[in-house]
Amino acid sequence: MSYVAVENLVKKYGDITAVDHLSFTVSKGEIFGLLGPNGAGKSTTLNIITTLTDFDKGKVTVDGLDIREHKAEIKRLIGMVPQDIAIYDHLNALENVKFFASLYGYGKSDLTRNAMEALEFVGLSDKIKVKPKQMSGGMRRRLNIACGIAHKPKLIVLDEPTVGVDAQSREHILNSIRLLRDRGATVIYTSHYMQEVEQICDSIAIIDKGQLIACGTETELVSMVTDVQTVFIKTKIPINFEKETFEKKIKLMPGVKGISEEDSVIKLDISVEQNNIGHIIQEFINFGLPIISIKSELPSLDTLFLTLTGRELR
Amino acid sequence: MIQIIIKETKEFLRDKSNIFFFFIFPVMLVFLLGNLLANLDKAEEVIGEVRIHYGIEGISDIDFVTVKEFIKGLEDRKNFFFNETDDIASSIDLATDGGIDAVVLFKNDPMEIQIYEGTNRIKNRTVNSIMNGFTQLNKAVDIIIKNNKQALIDQPNYESDYIMHKDLGIKRTMLDYYAITMMTMMCFMSIMIGAICFMGERQEKTIIRLRIAPISRVKLFFGKILGLLPQTLLQILILMVFSSLLFGAHYALYLFDNIHLFFMFTVISFTMISLGAVYGLYIDVNPMAGILPVLWLMMFFSGTYSKEIVIEGLSKYLPIYQVQEAAFDLTIFGRHQKANTVIIVCLIISLAALVFGAMGFLRKEEK
Ligand SMILES: Nc1ncnc2c1ncn2[C@@H]1O[C@H](COP(=O)(O)OP(=O)(O)OP(=O)(O)O)[C@@H](O)[C@H]1O
Ligand SMILES: [Mg+2]
Repeated sequence: MSYVAVENLVKKYGDITAVDHLSFTVSKGEIFGLLGPNGAGKSTTLNIITTLTDFDKGKVTVDGLDIREHKAEIKRLIGMVPQDIAIYDHLNALENVKFFASLYGYGKSDLTRNAMEALEFVGLSDKIKVKPKQMSGGMRRRLNIACGIAHKPKLIVLDEPTVGVDAQSREHILNSIRLLRDRGATVIYTSHYMQEVEQICDSIAIIDKGQLIACGTETELVSMVTDVQTVFIKTKIPINFEKETFEKKIKLMPGVKGISEEDSVIKLDISVEQNNIGHIIQEFINFGLPIISIKSELPSLDTLFLTLTGRELR
Repeated sequence: MIQIIIKETKEFLRDKSNIFFFFIFPVMLVFLLGNLLANLDKAEEVIGEVRIHYGIEGISDIDFVTVKEFIKGLEDRKNFFFNETDDIASSIDLATDGGIDAVVLFKNDPMEIQIYEGTNRIKNRTVNSIMNGFTQLNKAVDIIIKNNKQALIDQPNYESDYIMHKDLGIKRTMLDYYAITMMTMMCFMSIMIGAICFMGERQEKTIIRLRIAPISRVKLFFGKILGLLPQTLLQILILMVFSSLLFGAHYALYLFDNIHLFFMFTVISFTMISLGAVYGLYIDVNPMAGILPVLWLMMFFSGTYSKEIVIEGLSKYLPIYQVQEAAFDLTIFGRHQKANTVIIVCLIISLAALVFGAMGFLRKEEK
């Protein structure tokens, strides 16, 4: 069921077409990643969805409501974490979160509770009295997130929330985003960090110069460029192993494109589409090969982007 | 909207540089200017002697008595000297040359009063103020005569008491002068607060959050502007209280007049904040460059920094000058008329500014 639908969206800034006939849908309860290089139109798209910016052509609906006609209702559904940190320097963490949540009309006690929850959520519950100036960059980023989610929005829009934070804070942020989804929120997430998007997004749209280049789950996207996935299976070769029979048998299985062995690691090239790994494993067991570990290697989204646009992502 | 107001005030009070610039600095300025420049300026500590020629032409008997009583009452004050004259024209010449301070002509029935001013600004104001008091009184007398003639006969001397009340009893110093001009300055400076209020949100990027929240833009605009008001009120109050308690500056004699003064300054500040906000919305020039120089020039030629710097034919057209005049009228002479005019003009201007600003805010696309 689609929660956000963007159809043929066009936004021009003078001569620049920031968003160019863009269409995609975001399902309810998923993390949707919007991926693209600088200036691709990610922020512009998000600003349109959050009703900040008007657009020239096309149609956008959130929860079935047209954003032009139901601005007020949609605003209530949305929580935004802007790309640039947007907090007041002279208010402490709790006051910041409370103030922004108060714009959504909560009573006083609800307000404090929600704000505390949001701060706890981003791991700042022991810093509620600290002013942003005394915080590290990562902490400010986390506070920036807390300010966008304290009012319990159904749709959370995050614009590059991990820019410039250390690995630990990033992990924390990514985990929080997953948690938000698990609690039922729909999340739209932009980034130009590949690993991040690969790590947490349920589906991904790749855009460049305002246009949609590809859209789907990670596997779907990868299968656009190549159907082949490499799987490494570490095993222990028994003494009486009939290597040739085994390899012949595996090769005949649908979807298998190649097999080789080296140091007890069997390397398989298999089709992504006809994912047959279950049957292959079964054969391993039939031949008395124990499975010690399985590692699968998809071409990365980096490669994908390169193939699709002929340009490096960053 | 309340949250926005509270937030604004909190933000303002937390910024230590604000505390200095808006609270301590003006109070210090009043003190410094008042004490240092007082010697340079050689202020009249009291009004000094005021010499007036007056003529009486064709007024009713009752008016005649009232006028005479009035003059007698003033002459008792020792610094007013009245001479009756039949040759108004040469008296006027004398006043123009500075030989006397004013010529007053009482004529016709119902009585009309004509005042020919002399050369001294302060004395002119004194004469005007006193004659204004007399006119008020005379109106009252007229009404009493219409309704109850007897009352007048029973109370022949009340008008001199009335004038005494409004007497220039306090010894005025330059401190008082600067207390007023600094307050005027602060009120006009509020335009800067208004002009940068949205700039701040834009710099901190928080405007985005405000704009995606389900709160109408007009509410946002008013919340912001009203949010700036408490701090301005606080400023005025602190300046008034501190400069009078610490340095003994005088404002008006009566509490009511002081409240009136406070109210006038509040309205001016609000107007300036609104104007500033409109500036911030429509004009892209940094207010530090776009407003401050104009403001300073205007203050300079309005006698804000020294009462000697007043330019005939220019100063009186400057709003700051008019506001200061209104404030002096109120504090020194207890006259409310100018202050009321200022208040009404300000309310009209701020209304226009707010409508204009709200429209602009509705339309403006954030980049
Ligand atoms: N307010 C604006 N006025 C004019 N052009 C704009 C404006 N905002 C964005 N653009 C242009 O629109 C295009 C898309 O910008 P956008 O900010 O959406 O990119 P982005 O994908 O978010 O990039 P980044 O990764 O750098 O954040 C850019 O070419 C940018 O220059
Ligand atoms: Mg961006």
